Amino acid sequence: MHIPENYLSPVTCAVMGAAMVPVWVHAVKKVKEELPAEKISMIGVGAALSFLGMMFNVPLVGGTTGHAVGGTLIALLFGPNAACIAVSIALLLQAVLFGDGGVLAFGANCFNMAFVLPYLGWAVYRLIVKTASGDKSAGMGRQLLGAAVGSYIGLNAAALCAAVEFGLQPLLFKDAAGLALYCPYDLSIAIPAMMIPHLAVAGLIEAAFTVAVYAFVKKTSPDLIYSPETPQAAPVRKSRVPLFALVAVLTAATPLGLLAAGTAWGEWGTDEIAGVAEGGSALGYTPAGMENGWELSAPMPDYSLEGVGEVLAYILSAVIGVALLIILFKLLSLALAGRNTKRPEV
Amino acid sequence: MLPEWMSGADDYTPEKGGGTFAVRTIKSLGAVMSSLRVQRGHEKARAVPAWIKIILLLAGITALSIARSPLVLMGAAALLLGYLCLWPARDIASVLRPALAAAALAAVLFLPAVLVDRALMPNSLRVIAKVALSVIMVNIFNHTTQWNHITAGLRRLHVPGIIVFSIDITLRYIVMLGRLICDLLTSYTMRAVGKKRGSYGSVGGVMGVAFLRGSQLSSETYEAMRCRCFTDDYKGL
Repeated sequence: MHIPENYLSPVTCAVMGAAMVPVWVHAVKKVKEELPAEKISMIGVGAALSFLGMMFNVPLVGGTTGHAVGGTLIALLFGPNAACIAVSIALLLQAVLFGDGGVLAFGANCFNMAFVLPYLGWAVYRLIVKTASGDKSAGMGRQLLGAAVGSYIGLNAAALCAAVEFGLQPLLFKDAAGLALYCPYDLSIAIPAMMIPHLAVAGLIEAAFTVAVYAFVKKTSPDLIYSPETPQAAPVRKSRVPLFALVAVLTAATPLGLLAAGTAWGEWGTDEIAGVAEGGSALGYTPAGMENGWELSAPMPDYSLEGVGEVLAYILSAVIGVALLIILFKLLSLALAGRNTKRPEV
Repeated sequence: MLPEWMSGADDYTPEKGGGTFAVRTIKSLGAVMSSLRVQRGHEKARAVPAWIKIILLLAGITALSIARSPLVLMGAAALLLGYLCLWPARDIASVLRPALAAAALAAVLFLPAVLVDRALMPNSLRVIAKVALSVIMVNIFNHTTQWNHITAGLRRLHVPGIIVFSIDITLRYIVMLGRLICDLLTSYTMRAVGKKRGSYGSVGGVMGVAFLRGSQLSSETYEAMRCRCFTDDYKGL
């Protein structure tokens, strides 16, 4: 579900990032109020657990494995606000450290996995546990059911958000010839493609993972589990108002994204002819060429760049070619050196 | 006189697939831990400050993402590859490998669209190139900047202290808890020869123990901080 770089337009990334700012501010503020100071470093534990949880290859039918996100689990253990920060940090580390998920798409990824997933999963869990029994202590079975359903719904809602973000790209961001600039699949393809595997497989893994860990912690040390009743009951109840306000603001901000997209699209309209010409010429390119081959052919028909563009493109492709050759030879020598050093050992 | 069951031949062959999930998880954990603990980058003594690098990285990725002219892509490629080719081979490999993997994944994802409509080819190729270049950029940044400098840079850019503190703690706990999980899984595989069932239960147990150990470590961290005159003020950290 990690959206990589450049699958979403920069405008979408900016809107999603802007939507996350109030969520983060809210979460940081609430965490400072809810968690006692000695528990603040638990956020780091939560982030580490979320990061490590994604490394677990849970066994599936047929010998394959899949991994869970664990957002709902973190929300159950530490509270939804701490979960939001923890998952955000885990996503940041993955983006910067391992290139898993884009740096620009960080806002969108956080929206799906650090906002929608933990808050919704937590809300569903609370709903099931609360409606089950009027008194505070719901049965263990009911709690596990809440954890399972909450994590299943949370994960699938996050996947749906990602699918909608993907699916909006070809509708909003086209070049002049009407061709998709970023992700080329619209809603009718993106939603089933994302939802079927998540509904059928990933959601079940998430639920199984959440229940397994939650049941273990509940059995061994139930006092460590976050519950809004134990710290102070009143402020938590009050805190729902800003949350609703947040949702309202976000809902109101959605058309803003469309609006912003519209102006960007209008700006792009100026270089229509270039886009059309590119679309036409690209069919004739030879795939056998190096990766700069197609790039070289592309600027040629662009009339505004003729002359200057040709020379510049020539120089740039020469630089790319030389750099690629040097890199290639260096890698080759590395491989050979590796073989030579290995041989005496064997 | 030996009992009969001791003298007879044993034809026990363990079922296949027992505990493989644990082995796979150990492998992927090991890869992450080694890349975290042995940061093989080469940060120079007089490097550009990390906070400038963070701004440059964001600006570069944004510019690349907005750019529609192939010339900009070529310029970025020339710049990055030209810089990269001056590096030692081992570092080049560790920067290029994830970039190529990301580009290959993007190519697979975009293939159906291109097959359906050939006209989508130039835009799809452009996105694939952008993906590769962005990952190269992030990897160069990660490779030339130590983690404590990155968190210091974030602090300089006015990221709240509580977040920076959490990032620092997270990195430490990933290594400590990761090692713990590796140990637990190793002991699990050694005892679960040929055992097919109970994988989910063991996942719960392993993560649960990691959680308990993590909360214990975190309270110890807090106590240690209090002993060093920490006053619950995350701003001054």
